[in-house]
Amino acid sequence: MTGFDQLLAVSAVTFILMLASGGWRLSGWIAAALYGVQLGLLVGLAGVGVEPATLQFSVLGHGLSWKFDSLSWFFAVITVGAAFLAALYAAGEWSEAYRKQGGSLRQLHAALAFNVWSMLVLLSSGDLLSLFIGWELVSWASYWLMTLSGGLAARAALRYITYAMGGAMALLAGIVLVHSAVGSLEFAAVVSAVPGMGNGLLWALVLLFGAGFGVKMGLLPFHLWQAAAYAETPGPGAAFLGAISSRMGLYGIAVVLVQLLGLARGLELDLVPGYVSATDLLAWVAALTIILPTYTALRQNDARMLLAWHGIGQGGYMLLGLVVGDALGSAGGLLHVFNYATNQAVLFMAVFAVIHRTGTSDLNKLGGLVVRMPLSFVAMLVGIIGLAGLPPMNGFVSKWLVYRSLMIEEMPLLFLATIIGTLGTILSVYKLIHNTFLGQLRLEHEHVAEAPWSMTIPMLVLCVVIFVTGTVPGLVLEWVAQAQAAMGLPVIDYTPGGVASDSGGLDMIWVVGVLFAGFGVGALLFYSGGRTRRVHQLDNYAGGHFLTADTRYHYSDNFYAGLMRRIGPWYRYSFRWLEEALVSVVETLAMGMHGLYRQRQPALALLGLAFFTIGWAVWS
Amino acid sequence: MSIGHLFVELVLMPLVAFVVGLFMVLMMRKIGARIQRRVGPPLLQPLYDIVKLYGKRTQVSHGLIHDIGIVMAVGGYVAAETLLPVPGMNGIAEKGGLIVLTYMLMIPSLGLALGVGQCANPNGSIGIARALTAMLAYDIPLVIVIFGVAYHFGTTNLVDIVSIQQQGGVGAWGAAEMPLLAIAGLFALHASLGKQPFEIYVAPAEIATGPMVEMSGKFLGGLFVMQCFQLYTAGALYATMFLGGGENWLSFLVKIFAVVAIPMSIAYVFPRYKTEDLIAMVWKWPVLIGLAGLVLVMY
Repeated sequence: MTGFDQLLAVSAVTFILMLASGGWRLSGWIAAALYGVQLGLLVGLAGVGVEPATLQFSVLGHGLSWKFDSLSWFFAVITVGAAFLAALYAAGEWSEAYRKQGGSLRQLHAALAFNVWSMLVLLSSGDLLSLFIGWELVSWASYWLMTLSGGLAARAALRYITYAMGGAMALLAGIVLVHSAVGSLEFAAVVSAVPGMGNGLLWALVLLFGAGFGVKMGLLPFHLWQAAAYAETPGPGAAFLGAISSRMGLYGIAVVLVQLLGLARGLELDLVPGYVSATDLLAWVAALTIILPTYTALRQNDARMLLAWHGIGQGGYMLLGLVVGDALGSAGGLLHVFNYATNQAVLFMAVFAVIHRTGTSDLNKLGGLVVRMPLSFVAMLVGIIGLAGLPPMNGFVSKWLVYRSLMIEEMPLLFLATIIGTLGTILSVYKLIHNTFLGQLRLEHEHVAEAPWSMTIPMLVLCVVIFVTGTVPGLVLEWVAQAQAAMGLPVIDYTPGGVASDSGGLDMIWVVGVLFAGFGVGALLFYSGGRTRRVHQLDNYAGGHFLTADTRYHYSDNFYAGLMRRIGPWYRYSFRWLEEALVSVVETLAMGMHGLYRQRQPALALLGLAFFTIGWAVWS
Repeated sequence: MSIGHLFVELVLMPLVAFVVGLFMVLMMRKIGARIQRRVGPPLLQPLYDIVKLYGKRTQVSHGLIHDIGIVMAVGGYVAAETLLPVPGMNGIAEKGGLIVLTYMLMIPSLGLALGVGQCANPNGSIGIARALTAMLAYDIPLVIVIFGVAYHFGTTNLVDIVSIQQQGGVGAWGAAEMPLLAIAGLFALHASLGKQPFEIYVAPAEIATGPMVEMSGKFLGGLFVMQCFQLYTAGALYATMFLGGGENWLSFLVKIFAVVAIPMSIAYVFPRYKTEDLIAMVWKWPVLIGLAGLVLVMY
């Protein structure tokens, strides 16, 4: 039994145990402990290169195999880490509250464990067929977790599974195409056959696989399912899904489009000869995925929806870095998977901590909570600085790598797109923390207490991770470099503090050190001034009026009014229009097919279908 | 370079920036006074103002985040100054570069935004919302300029950018090689200083001075210090990118004072834009000029 077998086995045991007794009072702690064991096993697997699974079998002459390499390890460690902290978050007081609301803890824990197991299966796929099986498992696992709350959540989940099935069909079509061209679904066979493939076939493969994996990632124009589906999932589930679930799509793109088909080949596929290649197309899809969802997030009035929309937008940075494809860019894209996961998890946890105490995540019904929930405030502050990509948190480093590679590769408009996305994120996350934790404390929240320790500890652990990996990014860049090597990409030349380069490097240890020294000077200056007097929040300038406790004195609604007067009209219809256009394209295609085989040529179509089915079965 | 030497630089760079910034505030007030046919304040008035504000008896705090916000606003600039090379001192400029500096300059704004948020005054919050909107507006032309500069010099390392310009003489200055980007950069710089006509977030007649509405005593003093740093940083960054940095302190000071004097002279003869008009304005002219400049640089 290899180390990887043990990992999969422990993961499966976790699932079975949770399915059997997930509703038990202590099961949350047991689940957390089992994820801890998996994390330990993963640490043992670090840097071993390729670890095959013992389990391999063949169906209809196709070998199915699973193996674990550095790329899988990188994604797996984020998956299991997110599950560990989510389970810890769910274990204590949160689970009591969830049970009282009528939620089934057994379902929640089992669904979470099943998600982890299916993701591990997907991440270790050794050929295209096992990749597809893993893909389907992950889709249904996410669906299970998303439907738990019922009602709105179930509707959102149904929308997700509709998109996911469409994506899976695209993948299946791509796999069939590969099989008919190569005659095998082994990765090695596909890689060796790619140079001989025609441009038409390759275009079909890029589009089919891109769309199939893009659905899970929420790439434009397949992004409309994601925000509602993640936001409506119960707390720990939302933190887990938000942190890592969509990245499975990125893993698929990394394996099939980058590793198998190859970026160099993508550059030869011309959309407009000489100017726009398939790789450029992907890069621009990524850039639009950064901008449009980020600015949709800016308009949300529900904290969970705001975060979920940002999750879609941040995926664009990862894909963009990956398809730029040089050492810095792909390292930035992969590093952002880790960094973003930590940021998003802590943000969802902070928002659900607020919901746990106040019962709402409506950004117009909160405010001033920093004085009642200081630790949750710190967690959200660290999370938003990371998500917005400002020093000294880790999100800055991965975005810096993407910016720098776009500069080196001379792509000014894509660079501008990434910055526009970052600026939108800064605006949006400030609104999030301002409307939740700053400003006026409402009368009904006067006696709110800090979230319980079982919830604050996972958040604080994540804060430490975000800060430490922001200051010493070399810790994670080591894993990223191994993953790059496993994918056959150029490997980043990293230092503990960042990147050494003649044309402008980065040393975060110095930058963060000086930043905190600066804060020290600022504090010295501030506290050497006169004594301050703490006043009540209603002791405030109100143009001569007296403020009383029932006066709503918190500016929250339509927060960026001036900006919206300018760019507000740009939003109108654009997203509705996008989905309707998508639906009508699919509908037209379906009608065409329908017409072909039902009305025009019933006999011929039936014969053709039978012929193809038998032919495929015999030939394979 | 020895650690001791580096340490001296790290202490001196913010200190020099602060002192120069004080004189820039003085210059700003003098220009305003002359345009309005007044005499203007005496030489040490900015210093007196800061000492007065820090020593005030009434120091109203709305909570710990209010205090920390001011600490971050001043501290962020103190740190950022060590990334900006000046004649004879490079500090840690080589460990950061142009992009890091751009993002470091957002830390003070973030601190201020947090502090103002804690004050629970809608005028302050509206001011911050407008300030962030203005940042979204002027940062777009600014990053176009930064990309063009990094592309032209082939590096984001500010020390190298300065030395390339100084070796080539005036003809190799960014402003001579990339005139359109220099114009767009000046535009963005003016907007980033938040002076008229881009003064949307202070707007005393409309939102009671916005972010400053609940700032008294040393809180306002902190913002005053921040303004000194802000003026200095804007001038020094522009001089570094387009005017060959400083060959020596004399030429460096002449350049940065000249750069800051331009927006100041314009500011005092203009009223204020509305927020949406500011966005429209900044996204039209400097962006177009910047993109045109970028095309010239790259092709």
